[in-house]
Amino acid sequence: MPTDFDKGAYPEPPRQTPAVDKQTALPNPAVILSKLFYYSVDLPVTTFRDAVDSIRAKNKSVYYHQKFRRVPDLTECQQGDYLCYYEAEMQWRRDYKVDQEIVKVVQERMRACHQREGASYQQNCAKEIEQFNEATKNFQSRYGDLGAYASGRKCLMKQKERMMAAQASSA
Amino acid sequence: MVGMSVLRSAAAFAARLSPLKYGNNAANVLTRTIPRTDKVAVRWGHGKKMFVIKPTDFYDRRFLRLLQYYILLTGIPMAVIVTCVNVFAGEAELAEAPEDYEPEHWEYYKHPITRWIARNFYDSPVKDYEKMMAAIQIEKEKADMRLTQLEVRRQMRTKGDGPWFQVGTLNKELIDYSPKATPDN
Repeated sequence: MPTDFDKGAYPEPPRQTPAVDKQTALPNPAVILSKLFYYSVDLPVTTFRDAVDSIRAKNKSVYYHQKFRRVPDLTECQQGDYLCYYEAEMQWRRDYKVDQEIVKVVQERMRACHQREGASYQQNCAKEIEQFNEATKNFQSRYGDLGAYASGRKCLMKQKERMMAAQASSA
Repeated sequence: MVGMSVLRSAAAFAARLSPLKYGNNAANVLTRTIPRTDKVAVRWGHGKKMFVIKPTDFYDRRFLRLLQYYILLTGIPMAVIVTCVNVFAGEAELAEAPEDYEPEHWEYYKHPITRWIARNFYDSPVKDYEKMMAAIQIEKEKADMRLTQLEVRRQMRTKGDGPWFQVGTLNKELIDYSPKATPDN
C-alpha cells in the first residue's frame, strides 16, 4: 500500500483559515456533511485499522536497505576483462535506478508544494520548481535518449559526445 | 350423494335443452363437477403469458457456471490466504541495519509473502551474481583458448617446426639400396 509522504520532510505551512464567526442561527451544511462523513466512513475505517494493527503488533518484522560496495567503473576496466565489464554494468544499472528514484522524489516534492499552495504555487514554490527543473535537465542530459536497451557503454558514449560538443562550442 | 346425482341429472337436463350452450357439452356433463373456465383464480400480473421460443442457452450457461467454479476453486483459498497473511502477519518496517549484522537476503523485502518466496525458493541475489560471473569467466576462457589456438595454427603452419601440420612419410629403412638386376627397379 503506498505510504504517505514523510511529514517531517515537507512540513505544511501554518494554517491560515480564519476563526469561525457564526452570525446566523442556521446550521452550517458543511459542518453537517463533514460530521456525516466522519461517522459513516472515517470512524469505521479507523477502528478497523486499529483492530488490524493490534493483531499485527504481535509479529513485527523489519526489512533493510541493501548497501552495495563501489566497484571500478567502465573507464577503469582493462580491454577484454569481461568480469570487470559485468560489475561496472551492474553498478551503472543500480545508479540509473537510484537516479530515477531521486527525480521521482524531487517531482513528488514539487507536486506536494503545488497542491498545498493552490493558485499561488508559482510564487511560493519557486525553490521546489527550480530544483525539479534542474534535476530533470541533468537527468535528461545524462540518461536522456538511451532507450530501453540502455547500458553503461551507451551512456559513456553519450557522455563522450557531450564533452566533444562542449569542447567544440567552447573552442 | 343423492344431491350429486340430482345435480348431475339437472345438468344432463340442461344439456339436453340447449346442447350448444357454453359449458353444456358432453364432456362437461359426464364429469363430476362442471369447470367454470370464465372465472379462474390464476393471477399472472398483466400481459398475456407467452411460450417464448428461443435458441438454447444451456451450453453458454454451463460454460459460465464451469468457468466460475474452476476459477473460484483456487481463487477463494488464495484470497483467504492472502487476507490472513495481510491481517495477521503484517508488512515489515524499514530499519537501519546494525553495524556488525549482515542481513539475510530475504530480509531486504517488505511483504511477508515475498520474503517467504525469497527465503524458500529463490537463490540470493549475491549467488545469482556469482553464477553470472562464473558463466562469464567460463565463456572468457573459452574465447581466449580459441584465439590462442588460431594463433598457434598460424605459427605452426608458417614455421613448420611444431607437431601440427606434419605429413607422415614412409620409414627410410625400408629403402632397398642393394644393386638391382635391371636399371628400372
